[in-house]
Formats: sequence, structure tokens, C-alpha cells
Amino acid sequence: MGHVLDFRTASMERRAVIAQPTTDTSADDALVSAARAGDRSAFGLLYDRYARMVHGILLCRVPPREVDDLVQEVFLLALRKLDSLRDISRFGAWLSTITRNRANDHYRRANRAELPMEQEEEEKAEGRANDHVAEQEAAMTLAVLRTLPETYREPLMLRLVEGMTGPEIATRMGLTHGSVRVNLHRGMQMLREKLAEKAAPWTERNARANKASGQNE
Amino acid sequence: MKDDYLWDGSGEPDPEVQKLENVLGRYRHDQPAPAFDQLVAEKPARRRWSFPLSRLSFQLAAIAAVVLIGVATFFVIRVRQEKYSGPAWEIARIEGAPRVGWHSLSANSESARLKVGQTLVTDNSSRASITLDETGTIEVDPASRLRVIASGPNRKRLSLERGTIHATIWAPPGEFVVDTPSAQAVDLGCVYTLHVDDSGAGLLRTTMGWVGFKLNGHESFIPAGAVCATRPKIGPGTPYFEDASASFRDALAKFDFTKITPQERHALLGILLVDARKEDALTLWHLLSRVNDAERPGVYDRLAALAPPPQDITREGILHLDQKMLDSWWNSLGYGDVYLWHTYERTWSDRTPTSK
Repeated sequence: MGHVLDFRTASMERRAVIAQPTTDTSADDALVSAARAGDRSAFGLLYDRYARMVHGILLCRVPPREVDDLVQEVFLLALRKLDSLRDISRFGAWLSTITRNRANDHYRRANRAELPMEQEEEEKAEGRANDHVAEQEAAMTLAVLRTLPETYREPLMLRLVEGMTGPEIATRMGLTHGSVRVNLHRGMQMLREKLAEKAAPWTERNARANKASGQNE
Repeated sequence: MKDDYLWDGSGEPDPEVQKLENVLGRYRHDQPAPAFDQLVAEKPARRRWSFPLSRLSFQLAAIAAVVLIGVATFFVIRVRQEKYSGPAWEIARIEGAPRVGWHSLSANSESARLKVGQTLVTDNSSRASITLDETGTIEVDPASRLRVIASGPNRKRLSLERGTIHATIWAPPGEFVVDTPSAQAVDLGCVYTLHVDDSGAGLLRTTMGWVGFKLNGHESFIPAGAVCATRPKIGPGTPYFEDASASFRDALAKFDFTKITPQERHALLGILLVDARKEDALTLWHLLSRVNDAERPGVYDRLAALAPPPQDITREGILHLDQKMLDSWWNSLGYGDVYLWHTYERTWSDRTPTSK
């Protein structure tokens, strides 16, 4: 039995990694069963447990400012379709697929041919709008993370952005520990290389910004 | 692998990972659960049925009641009809004059619908798209014939008899399938292109997500970047990534679809194993269940070298085609959760592809 984290408190905090005592995944199954029977509070608890996963998967594919609305849409769709889930123990895998489909929908609604350019422009615009160097660095780092292959992008996004642990990612998404661990490792290597390529200009810019703020003081 | 901190936050903190956590933490999800009761209840509120009955006079109320009964009767009949035939796909002309039956869509045509049993036909100079709100959109290239087989709740089924379609599907996985003369494509959350030539042979190319392709129990999974050919009476071949070497692709095509001697088969398998890259684990995993008992150990060893199996897998188990172990290995490759296939494939198992 792997570690399972309690999201009810974790989802509202911004600590890096929140590990809590293991609870049985059958708790999730019970929540899914109750939600199917019409218990909205049970569905609310499922939201608390899975919202970061959904948020992270969406963040891999759509601009950050649109993610919160889409998270809500995904859960509403899941609520409507919950009866079609045949094996309640696979709720996480099922929900993550619905999430990717919703992101595909977003992708489709934008002009497919122009999307990569649009996203790039949006990210640049977000970077420009952010005055603070740290915010610009965050936007740039997120943009680089989003260029990784899908296999690496999702687990890394859930680990680095959403603060989930590897075992938690595996449990929530219905994957094996081995595959998640390998993908985190390889993805981190690739991310390091890509960030290193971009590091020089950023280091230069930060130095300029620090110098300017020093002069102002 | 010394990645304990990256893995579960334990061990000595990795400063680089910590820095990334701090930098990216600003994007972390922090929205509390919405009131789902209210959100669900909002939907019916959009219907404009709120008549100020209390202010109507008795006569007006009587008239309104008669009208309401009429309207209700109309809707009951309509809903029954829709239950029978299912929702229709909206057709949009892109160019030329695509047609449905005898009805041709010209430039000035109003929007048309494609219902169960109807066929959309495009000639060499026409293109169209069809869209169903909760399912997806499909662009139909010139020289194609696309028929709607079923359109019930949670079950959307088309038949591509000839030509090319580009499908972008946002329905939950397993709800949308396309029959072809040589295989059935089951959507598992994806964007893909499907081509069928005049002989009934097909080619499926996945752009995003993954697709299951099957005929009479012969199955292939095609993730993004991969393609898979099909042949009538044979079914789907072995999927491969398009950037595989030419010798690898040629050997695979012959291995899958041509009549070859045992010596030729041995030589082709040799090429596949030697030329396989890490990415070609996709192909080797499929070959495990397509080669004979004598050939399987070689495929296992090469696949294990390129993509080491998870700990719960044994060589013995794979050589005996233990389904759980095969599934576990597939899931470790990271292309998609095979559970989705096993779940949704069953729901379509009683529906065989159209035969030519």
C-alpha cells in the first residue's frame, strides 16, 4: 500500500511537499460510491483530494489564467458522467483522462494551427506584464516545463507546482510507482538541461535588475 | 537513482528542486471546492420557464394551461423521437459541395445535420466538418464517405467507408468509435487522423492522446506521434513511431502484412530487434503477443534492455503472456493507462466492424 496524502488541508497550503500518514485508497472508493449515490459533500471531498491533479494536468496544456475555470468544468463534467465509471477504484485515471480531453477541447477551440504561437505570445505577454523579476522567472520556468514531452511534463508539474509527492501522483493517477519515479527522474534531467540553456540571459537580466534596484536605493 | 527528495520529499533536500518548487509554487491550485449543489442547480434555472402565474387572470391562466399542455405534448413526442435516433451531428461545409443523400450543401446552404443512418459524401473537390457538442469535431477530407451508425447516450459510432477524417474528440474515453472495413478505432482521449483506401486498408496517425485499434481481438494502441496500418481480414498491424528508421519500418510492414517464409520472418524480426531504439519499446511491447513462443524470449530481452520492466514483472510471466504483467509493463511506458482500454473495449465488444 503506497502513501496517500490527505488533500483536505494540503490543497490550501503552499508548502513544497506535504506528506501525511497513509490512508487507504478504499476511502476514495467510498467517496466515489457516495458521490454516485448523490452525496454532494462526498463529491466535494473528492474535489479536495483530486483538484491539484486536475489543476496540474490542465496547467500542462492551457494558459494559467484559464486553468481555475477549467478545473471547475472538469469536476462538473465528472459529476455528470460519474455513472459511466465502471470501476470506482480507477476514479483517478478516469478523471485525468477527462481532464486531458477538456484540455484538448480548449486546444480545439483555439485555432489549432495557430495555438503554439498564441500560447508563446501569451506567455511572453504574461512575462511582460509581470514587473517583478521573480514572477518573470516563474513564467519562464513554467514555459520551459511545458515544452517537455507529455510523459515527463505531467508528473513534474504535479511534483514541482502542485507539491504532490511521487507516491501520491502514482496513487491519484492510477500509475505504478516505478513509472512515475522514472519519469520524474528523466523529466528533471531534461528540465535541468533546458533551463541551463536559458540560464545565461536570465542571470544577466537578474544582475541588471539587482544593480538597478541597488542604484535606486 | 538518488532522487529521494524529488520522489517524496524525504532525504537531503535537493537545492535545485527546492528552488523550482519555490519559483513555481505561485501557480499551485488554491481554490476551495465550489458549491456543486448550486452549480448543478443553476442549469435548470437557465430554462426560461418562469411564468408569473400569480398575476395572470383566470382566463389567461386557462389559455396558458392549454398552451403548456400543447407544448409539453410536442416536447414529449420530440424527446421520444430523439431517444430513438439520438442527437444529430452538425455539418459545416468547408469547400466544394459535400452531400448527404440527394441533398447537396452549397455555399449558401444553411447548416445541415447528419443523423443515424445517413452518409456524408465528399467528392474530389469538397470538404466538410461535422460536430457533436459533447463528443468532438471531425473534418472530412475530399473523396470520403462517412456514415453515422449510432448516436445514443455515451455511444457515438461512425463508419469511415473510404477517405480521410481528422478527429478531435473531447468526449470521455471509449464513447466514440469509428469503424473501418479493416479495424475499429476506439477513442481514448485524443486527436487523430484516419485514412481508408479503396481496398479497405487503413492508416491511423495519432496527434494527441492515444487510440485503440482492433479487429476480432487483434489490438493495437497508438499513442501521440505513432501510426498504425490495417489490412482487411488481417486487422491492425503493429504500431510504430514515424521517426523510426526506414529499415525498421520496412521490416515491420513485411512482418505484419506479407506472406513470408520462416527464414524471412526470422531475419525481419532480427532487423526489428537490432534497429529498435528506446522509443520503439512501443512496437516491441506489441510484438510480445504477436510472435510465437520461440521468438518471444528475444523480444523480451530486447524490450527489457530498452525499457526495463517494473518490479512486479517476471520474465516467466511475460513469456507466458500474463495479461496483468503485460498491462503493467505497458502502463510503465507512459503512453496511457491500459485500464481505459480494457474497460471501454468491453463496452463495444459486441459490435463488430463493418465488413466489406
